[in-house]
Amino acid sequence: MEIRPIFSALMRSKVSMILIGLQVALTLAIVCNALFIISERLDRMDRPSGMNEADTFWFGSTGFGQGFDVNGVQQSDLQLLRRLPGVAAATSVLSVPMSGGGWSTGISLQPNQRTSTASTAMYATDAQGLDTYGVKLVAGRNFKQEEVVARSINDRGVPSVIIVTRALADALFPGGDAIGKQVYLENDGPTSTIIGIVERAQTPWMGSDFIENATFSPSYMPYGTSTRFLVRAEPGRRDEVMKTIEQKMQEANPSRIIGRLRSIEQVRREAYSGDRAMAIILGVVIAALLAITALGIVGMASFWVAQRTKQIGTRRALGATKFDILRYFQTENFIITTLGLVAGGVLAYALSLWLMHAYQSPRLPWYYVPVGFLCLWMLGQLAVLGPALRASRVPPAVATRSV
Amino acid sequence: MFTYYLQLGLRSLKRNPILTALMVVGIALGIAASMTTLTVMHLMGSDPIPWKSDKLHYVQLDSWSPDEPANDDGSPPDQVTYRDATALMEAAKADKQAAMFKLVLPVQPENPEVKPFQSLVRVTYTDFFGMFEPPFQYGGPWDRKQDTEHARVLVLSKDVNEKLFGGQDSVGKTVRMNGIDYSVVGVLDEWKLRSKYYDLTNGAFSDPEEMYMPFTTAVDLKQRGSGNNNCWRSPGNGWESYLESECVWMQMWVQLDSPARLAEYHSFLDNYVNEQKKLGRFQRPLNNRLLDVNQWMADQRVVSSDVQVQTGLGFAFLAVCLVNTIGLLLAKFTRKAGEVGLRRALGASRREVFKQFLIESGVIGLSGGLLGLLLTGLGLLAIRALYTEYRTVASLDWTMVLTTIVLAVASALLAGLYPTWRACRVQPAAQLKV
Amino acid sequence: MLKMTHLQKVYRTHLIETYALRDFSINVREGEFVAVTGPSGSGKTTFLNICGLLEEFTGGEYWLDGVDVRGLDDNARSRLRNEKIGFIFQSFNLIPDLNLFDNVDVPLRYRGFGASDRKHRIEESLSRVGLASRMKHYPSELSGGQQQRVAIARALAGSPRLLLADEPTGNLDSLMARGVMELLEEINRQGTTIVMVTHDPELAARAHRNVHVIDGQVTDFDSEPALRTSSRESGMGNRESAHTEPVSP
Repeated sequence: MEIRPIFSALMRSKVSMILIGLQVALTLAIVCNALFIISERLDRMDRPSGMNEADTFWFGSTGFGQGFDVNGVQQSDLQLLRRLPGVAAATSVLSVPMSGGGWSTGISLQPNQRTSTASTAMYATDAQGLDTYGVKLVAGRNFKQEEVVARSINDRGVPSVIIVTRALADALFPGGDAIGKQVYLENDGPTSTIIGIVERAQTPWMGSDFIENATFSPSYMPYGTSTRFLVRAEPGRRDEVMKTIEQKMQEANPSRIIGRLRSIEQVRREAYSGDRAMAIILGVVIAALLAITALGIVGMASFWVAQRTKQIGTRRALGATKFDILRYFQTENFIITTLGLVAGGVLAYALSLWLMHAYQSPRLPWYYVPVGFLCLWMLGQLAVLGPALRASRVPPAVATRSV
Repeated sequence: MFTYYLQLGLRSLKRNPILTALMVVGIALGIAASMTTLTVMHLMGSDPIPWKSDKLHYVQLDSWSPDEPANDDGSPPDQVTYRDATALMEAAKADKQAAMFKLVLPVQPENPEVKPFQSLVRVTYTDFFGMFEPPFQYGGPWDRKQDTEHARVLVLSKDVNEKLFGGQDSVGKTVRMNGIDYSVVGVLDEWKLRSKYYDLTNGAFSDPEEMYMPFTTAVDLKQRGSGNNNCWRSPGNGWESYLESECVWMQMWVQLDSPARLAEYHSFLDNYVNEQKKLGRFQRPLNNRLLDVNQWMADQRVVSSDVQVQTGLGFAFLAVCLVNTIGLLLAKFTRKAGEVGLRRALGASRREVFKQFLIESGVIGLSGGLLGLLLTGLGLLAIRALYTEYRTVASLDWTMVLTTIVLAVASALLAGLYPTWRACRVQPAAQLKV
Repeated sequence: MLKMTHLQKVYRTHLIETYALRDFSINVREGEFVAVTGPSGSGKTTFLNICGLLEEFTGGEYWLDGVDVRGLDDNARSRLRNEKIGFIFQSFNLIPDLNLFDNVDVPLRYRGFGASDRKHRIEESLSRVGLASRMKHYPSELSGGQQQRVAIARALAGSPRLLLADEPTGNLDSLMARGVMELLEEINRQGTTIVMVTHDPELAARAHRNVHVIDGQVTDFDSEPALRTSSRESGMGNRESAHTEPVSP
C-alpha cells in the first residue's frame, strides 16, 4: 500500500483529518513539556541532602515558666538522649537541611567587604554534630568539645573555628586550599578559621540559589526557651526510638512542650511536597490526555469504518486481502498522526519558549519531541487497530448489497 | 418544540451509548481538569477583602544596604525594622495603622486535662481588627490605651477558645503563657481567610493564628519573632541592639480612606525617610512603596507559577477534549444525514434542524458538566491531599459550580456548532434515494 | 471457465435453515456471455457472490478457470478474485474520494504491478471506455453512465478472464444503459467471458445464453450456445419471466 492514494483520499475529507491531527498536535506539545517538567521535578527531588536521612529525626523542646534554665536543660537532655537505647548519636541543632527554616549569612574574605563573597546557611551544633547529621568529613578535622561555645539567638557571636561544605570551600577558595584559611562571618567581626570540609550539606531552603553552601558553627544556640535536637538511631531502630522519646523527655523535665517529632525522611517529603504534587498532577493530565486522544482516534476510526463499509467491501471484491484493509487503516492513521506530530513538534518548542519566557524554565531538550513522536505513533497505531480489524472483517459480499 | 428536540436528543444519545459516553466523559474530564485548577487559581488570587482592598496598603521602606538592593528587581525589602514600625505607629498619620509580627508562645492551660501547647500569636495593634475585620463571637478588640499601656490582654481564636474554655464566653478569664497571665478581652468567631494576606512573607497558606496580643506587651518579652528575619548588617549582641538594628522582621499595614490620603501618606513616608537619612540611615535612593492588598498579593506571587502552569494545562486539556468532541459529534451527525434529509423533506426548515442538533449537543454538554462537577469535586479533594496547605482554596463555591456547568454547556455547544452546521447543509431528499 | 456442480448454499440461524441455492449446476465456457435472470430473492445475488468468491458455499463443487476453489483460504480467494475476475456493480461502487485514475488503480495495486505498468494499464483501460481525458476527475463529477464506464475500466484494467456484472444498467436510464451494454458486448467480442446478473429480459436477450434461477435452482439451463435464439422463444423461459416481472414489449 502506498501513501499517495490514501493521502489524496484524506485530502477530500480534510475536517476529520484536521481534527485528529490537531488533537495529536496539542497532545504532543503538552505531553513533551509536561514530561520535561516532571523530569525536572524528579531530578530536584532526587538531590542528596548530604545527611543520613534514613536513621535520623529531629524535634523541638520549648520550656515554660519563669526561671526555666534553657542551657542547663539542654545539656541534661543531650546526656539523656545519648544514653537512650537505640540512639547512635544526638546533638542540639538550630536547623536541618530541607526543613525550610534556619539562619543564613554572608561570608567574606576581607573585613568590611562591600558585598559578601558567598552566602551560607549556618548550622550550630556541637562536637557530635557531624556524626549525628551523618555528613562526611572529607578534609581537615571535626570540632573538639572544648571549642563548642554556649550562645543564644540574640547573642550569636562569631565562632573561631568553622567547618564548611566542599561547595562553599570551593566558592571561597577555588584553589582548593580552604583548610586553615580565615574568613569573616561579620563585616568587622573577628575571623573564623576553616578547620574542616564536609562533602555535602544542603541549606534548609530548597529554592535558594546557594543550596550547597553550609557552615557548621560549634555552638549551643537555643531560640528563647526552645532547643532543637537531632537524633540518629542505630540502623533500623529509628521508629522505635521516636515512639519512646517524648515520654522520656517529659519525665526528665515536665515544664516544657515537646514539639512534633519528624524523621528527616518526613522533612524531605514535606520539602518536596509541592514538586511531588506537581509531578503527580502533570502525570495524571498526561495519562488523561493520552487516553482521550486514543479514544478520539478509536471513535473517529470506528466512524470511518462504518461510513466506508461499502468501499471496504468493494476493495475486498477487487482483490484486497484482509491484511490489505488492515494496512489501509493503519497507514491512514499513520499519515494523520504524522501530520499532527509535525505541527505538534513546532507547537512543543513554541510552548517551551513561552514557558522559558514566562516562568524562566529551562529549554526543552531536543530529544523529547522525537521520543514523543515514537510514543504517539505507537498510540495511534494501537488505537486504530480495533477499528481496522473490524474493517478487515467486513465481508466482500457487502459490495453487491444494495445500499 | 424545545421539549420535543430534547426528547429526540436524549433518544439519539441512548441509541449510541458508547459514542455518547465517550463524548460525555471527554467533556467531563476536560471540564474537571480546567475547573479544578481554575478554582485553586481563582480562590488563591481572588480579592480577600473586596470592599476595602484598595484602602489597605502595605508599607515598604528601602532601608537596605547601600551596596546592594534587597531584591534582585530593585524593590524595597518586604518587611520593616522595629525602629521604623514603632516610629510610624507613633506618628499615626494614616486612618488606621498596625505593625505586626508572628510569635510562638507556650500556653499552660489551667485545665489539667489539656496538655501545654505551643500557640501561634499575632502580635499587633488594635487597629488590626478594624482594618482586617475579623468577626467577634464574644467581647471585642483591646483599645488604644491598652496598646500604649503594654496591657497583658489577648484576643483568642474560636478554635483555641474551644480548646481552653470549651467554647464558652471567656472574656475576663486568664490564659497563662510562659509564666505570665493574660486576660481575655475578645474571642473571634470563625474567620475564614483564604490566604493570610496580611503576612505573605511568612506564607500565604500557613496555619491561622490562635491568639492576638498587643505589640508593646509582646516586645516586653524580649523574645524574637517566629517569622522571617532579614538583616543586611549584623544586629550586634543583645535584645536592645536587635531592636535598634537594621533587621527587618515586621509587617506594617495602613488604611488610607481616599486617594488623597494615600498621596499624603506617601509624602509623609518620603519625609520620614529623608529625616532618617540625616541620621545616617536609609542610604539607598528614595524607594518607598504603598501597594494595596491585590497589588501586594500579585507582587508576592500568591498564585504560584506551578498553579498557573497547571491551570494553563487544564485549559489546554479542555481544548483537546473539545476537538475530540467536535470529531465525535461530526461522526454522529454525519451518520444521521439520512434522518436530516427526511426531516427536511417533511418540511423542517434549516433553522429547525439546527436547533435540534444544537440541543442534542447541549444535552451532551449538560451531562458532561454534571459529571465534570463531580470529577471537579474529586479533583479538589486530590489537590487538598497533595497540597495540605491549600485546604482553604481547594473547595467549590456556588460561582464555581455555576461556572462549571456554563463552561461545559458552552463548550459542548461550541463543539457542536460545526457538526450541526454541516448536518444542516444536507439537501432535503438527497439522502432518500438509494 | 466456470463450472458449478450441485452447488448448495444454506444460511443457518439457530431456528431455521434457508436454502439460497440448492443443487445448482452451471457451466460457462470461455468467451461466453451468459445472462442470469430470475425474480428478486431467487438466489441470483447469492450465485453472483459465490461465483465471484465473495461468499463461500456449503456444498457441491466450483471450478474457476481450472481451480477448485473449495477450501481456499481468504487470502487465496482474494488473490484469485484479483487476478481472474473483474467486477461491475449495479451502483458502480467507485470510491468517491479517489479520482478516476486512482479508482482504476485500486485492483492493480493489490495485484502488485509496478508503477509504469499500472499507469499504462489505467490509461489503456480508461481510453477503452472513452474517459482517458477525465482521469483527474472525481466520480461525483460524472454522469451515471460515465461512472459505470469507469467501473468497467477498473474491472478490465487487470485483464481478467471473467467479468461479473451485477445489474450493470440497473441505475442508468435507457440511453446510458444501451451504451454500457454495447461496451460489454464489445469486451466480450474481444474474448472476455462475461456473466451478467439482471432482471431485465431485454438486456438478457442480448447475451449468448440465459440462465433462469428460481428458488435457488436453475430452472432453464441452456447448455448449448447454439440454442441462444430458441431460448428466447422458449415458452418455458417466458413463462418463468412473466411470473415475476412485467415483460417489456
